[in-house]
Amino acid sequence: MSARIAVPVFPGTNSEDETVRLLRDCGGDAELVHWSEADALRRFDAYLLSGGFAYEDRIRAGAVAAHDRMMDFVIAAAGAGKLVFGICNGAQILLEAGLVPGTGPARRPTAAFAKNAPSAHFVCRHVYLKLAVAPARCAITAALVSDALVPAWAAHAEGRLAATPEQLEEIVSGDHLAFVYAHADGAIDAAAVPNGSALGCAGLVNRDGNVLAIMPHPERDAWNFNHLDRREGDDVLAPSGGAAIFRSFVQALA
Amino acid sequence: MVSSGASGTANVALRDDELSRIEERLGREPSVVELHAFDAQWSEHCSYKSSRHHLKRLPTTGARVVLGPGEDAGILHAGVVEGERYGVVVAHESHNHPSQVVPFEGAATGVGGIVRDVLCMGAEVIGLADALRFGSIDDCHPEPLDSARDELSRRTHQVYVAESAVDGIGAYGNAIGVPNVAGDVYFDAGFDENCLVNVVALGIVKESEIVHSFAPKDADGWPIVLVGKATDPSGFGGASFSSLSLDSDDAELNKGAVQVPDPFLENVLMRASYRVFKLLRELKISAAFKDLGAGGIVGCSAEITAHGGYGAQIDLDAVNVAVADMPPEVIAVGETQERLLWVVPPEIVPEVLRIYNELFTLPEVAFNARAGVIGRVTAERRYVMRHRGEVVMDVESDFLTGAIHDELPYTEVIRHAGAVDELPAVDVETLFPQVLAHRDVCSREPLYRRYDAVVRGATVLPRGRADAGVLAPIPGSRLGVALAMGGNPRYGRIDPRYAAEHAVLEAMRRVVAVGAQPIGLTDCLNFGNPRKPEQYGALLAAVEGLAHAGTELDLPFVSGNVSLYNESGDGLPVPASAIVAAVGVFEDVGDVVTPGLKAPGSTLLWIGSRELVVGGSVLADVLGIEGPLPELSYGGERAAVGIVHDAIARGVLRSCRAVHDGGMLTALARLAFDAMLAGRSIGAEIDFGNPLCEAGGFLCEVSDASGIDLTGVLRVGESNDTPELIVNGVRFELPRLYEIWSQPLAELYP
Repeated sequence: MSARIAVPVFPGTNSEDETVRLLRDCGGDAELVHWSEADALRRFDAYLLSGGFAYEDRIRAGAVAAHDRMMDFVIAAAGAGKLVFGICNGAQILLEAGLVPGTGPARRPTAAFAKNAPSAHFVCRHVYLKLAVAPARCAITAALVSDALVPAWAAHAEGRLAATPEQLEEIVSGDHLAFVYAHADGAIDAAAVPNGSALGCAGLVNRDGNVLAIMPHPERDAWNFNHLDRREGDDVLAPSGGAAIFRSFVQALA
Repeated sequence: MVSSGASGTANVALRDDELSRIEERLGREPSVVELHAFDAQWSEHCSYKSSRHHLKRLPTTGARVVLGPGEDAGILHAGVVEGERYGVVVAHESHNHPSQVVPFEGAATGVGGIVRDVLCMGAEVIGLADALRFGSIDDCHPEPLDSARDELSRRTHQVYVAESAVDGIGAYGNAIGVPNVAGDVYFDAGFDENCLVNVVALGIVKESEIVHSFAPKDADGWPIVLVGKATDPSGFGGASFSSLSLDSDDAELNKGAVQVPDPFLENVLMRASYRVFKLLRELKISAAFKDLGAGGIVGCSAEITAHGGYGAQIDLDAVNVAVADMPPEVIAVGETQERLLWVVPPEIVPEVLRIYNELFTLPEVAFNARAGVIGRVTAERRYVMRHRGEVVMDVESDFLTGAIHDELPYTEVIRHAGAVDELPAVDVETLFPQVLAHRDVCSREPLYRRYDAVVRGATVLPRGRADAGVLAPIPGSRLGVALAMGGNPRYGRIDPRYAAEHAVLEAMRRVVAVGAQPIGLTDCLNFGNPRKPEQYGALLAAVEGLAHAGTELDLPFVSGNVSLYNESGDGLPVPASAIVAAVGVFEDVGDVVTPGLKAPGSTLLWIGSRELVVGGSVLADVLGIEGPLPELSYGGERAAVGIVHDAIARGVLRSCRAVHDGGMLTALARLAFDAMLAGRSIGAEIDFGNPLCEAGGFLCEVSDASGIDLTGVLRVGESNDTPELIVNGVRFELPRLYEIWSQPLAELYP
């Protein structure tokens, strides 16, 4: 029996349908679990927290959702070594739940995705995620190549990694910096970062490599029809681009 | 017997003759609730009393029309997928007055309302667009200045209005998870005191599963279920507020009439409603669903029943409220947002309530939000409302909701005849950079990047990257939908009728330029005070123009909106603004024309008017000259569309842009910029009489022009592998042009 992936839906989640669709197109067995049916989360083998504005991003993006009952199950699952993947709002929730970088106890965050800078506004921009750790460092990225570039869309108002200098140092020394922002050719500089994120951080992994949080949305540049520069003759309905990281996630569960 | 007589007519906009008509029909003085109910229902905003009879001139039928104007949204046949017919649902609305008074909330609630209009047709909401018209930001400064009264500060205010409205639209659309894929922004001093915020929403629905906005057959006795936010005093008097001119002295007072947005609640309401649609499908049950807009509970419950041939009994005590002891007229007609009304058979009520209240926990999502039964449908066509056991309203349903109309005097708009103006000698070298930096041409990205253009994962062409937005809305299907808007206020100032025709043409051309087949239109008529004959005349001229263009192009209008009383404190109307949205479809979204020049050595073709008229153009604005608008040739237009489609069918079209603000040269620059952004360094060399004139058409990059019928087509140049544009012998460096084009708004909105 194949591993089952839950996509929890909090009040305010908005990217659940395309997330499930892409998981299925990549061979995953995924379904939505609603906040009023939280107990159902117990039955799953892996979790993908999708984008949105859970609980209206009150206090700070992800802060309220991190204390939702659904997260009791996700925190327990992460502790038991199950795979947990968060995208955008899902990533914010994982940080607020203390699961990534995971350098403190659960629900005691040691870093946050804070308001974008220098412009504090929502930004919708095409970006590339560049793998900054060895692929095998994180189970979810294990099937990617070294230095993999994954196309995605940044679409958030709170995506700037913020932490104390000591904690940033721990993120680097503990090899938690999973992804950085890059240009299409793989070059890395401040202009590639859409939100002023510390370390150019686009994604973080926990110590055990089973929890990954990324800010940009690979599932929005994941089928050939999403690519502005697709090649002639490509099947427009075929998964590609950002689907690579979903495939890697599904393969890790095989 | 209705309990209390009117305590006075203060705070209602009803005219004396309308009041007498009501008293005569009721045979008594109306109650306070009735007075406010008629005030809302008979307002211009709800009744379209001065425009409805003229709007009949618009073409609204055709093979593609599944549902024309009359319900909350129109529906066009999009295509057949696996034997199932799909419709694209489209609605168009303005939120002008609220956005002027409190821009963030006003614009946000506009999005919420239009989304519910599409949702309530049983559709999944798939896309948004907005046409924005703000005051002039010329010579403005991003930092607030000391003196509140000086001119610069007034300009700074315009920067604020624009930014807040955009942030409001973004905050709402982003949170509910509907991508914003199309639209435009103009800045013009004519909107200094009255901005325009027009919003369009798109949905997708199986044609066999459409939910209508009126109670179905055999619905006598069915429960009426109110869903959503607890009714509060916000938005009381909203409908009449929208039907009066804004007076800046009343700014604080007017704020009370603006509603409060809650996109978080709407997000959950949408998803819960999708679940109810699934229930209806499974049980094969017909029901009615309608947004509560202008006129609140009265407006919605009266229309959803009366339009099905019924009456209604409503119990105000059953309404979930946010504040205790609100007067009945406030509960009855207040325009609290995020509310919808169902008429469903009694046997499914428990399940509908369970979905909203337990599965989607509405009461926990927002204070006292929920779904609950507030009344029932009656065979007798009377609208009866009770509050604390007393009847506070008892009127004939059809009298309340029936068509009323005002025959108003108008002045016929004489077309600016004038001879074709002399073409000034154009110094392209000096003028092109000025045109690219012009407020109507420069990059809008600093604003639209605040909108989520890609949520739902179905975006093919996001906002700002091409002439139209394109979506692939049905998972696993190649069917594509394109959306674009048009409506040039510089044209509106010159000639309301021709501006309306050009708006249709611009929206249509944009959809064609991305490779789609245009199938239908919506419009929003934003005009001044209809009680002023010259302003009413402008409205009627615009309707005539829309009707003519739609008929000539065989494109029906399936929904629309009229917004009147858009004028300044001095009584000057906004520039005539017939704003049009065009919907297009692709059988195979793989045929989309992607942005940017593709290869050096391509032939550049101009398919369009050869007339070198500059009236209304950005060039004319830069030069400070006036003149008539470009002539229209519908025969030429149809032929041009045919040539573009033919080039796509032959597989020779590499890229394409519709020509509008800034002329052919701007279109060429955009093609080169898009190539540059995609890492292709491609330039071009062209020769054309006046490449800054805006007579409409298409600039196309083709790999091979040999198979194309070149009648009416001009070869203007070729692409090459230099980072330059060479125009009539004048050389421009592309990176420099890009900087000129991308900077102006970025300075104001970093």
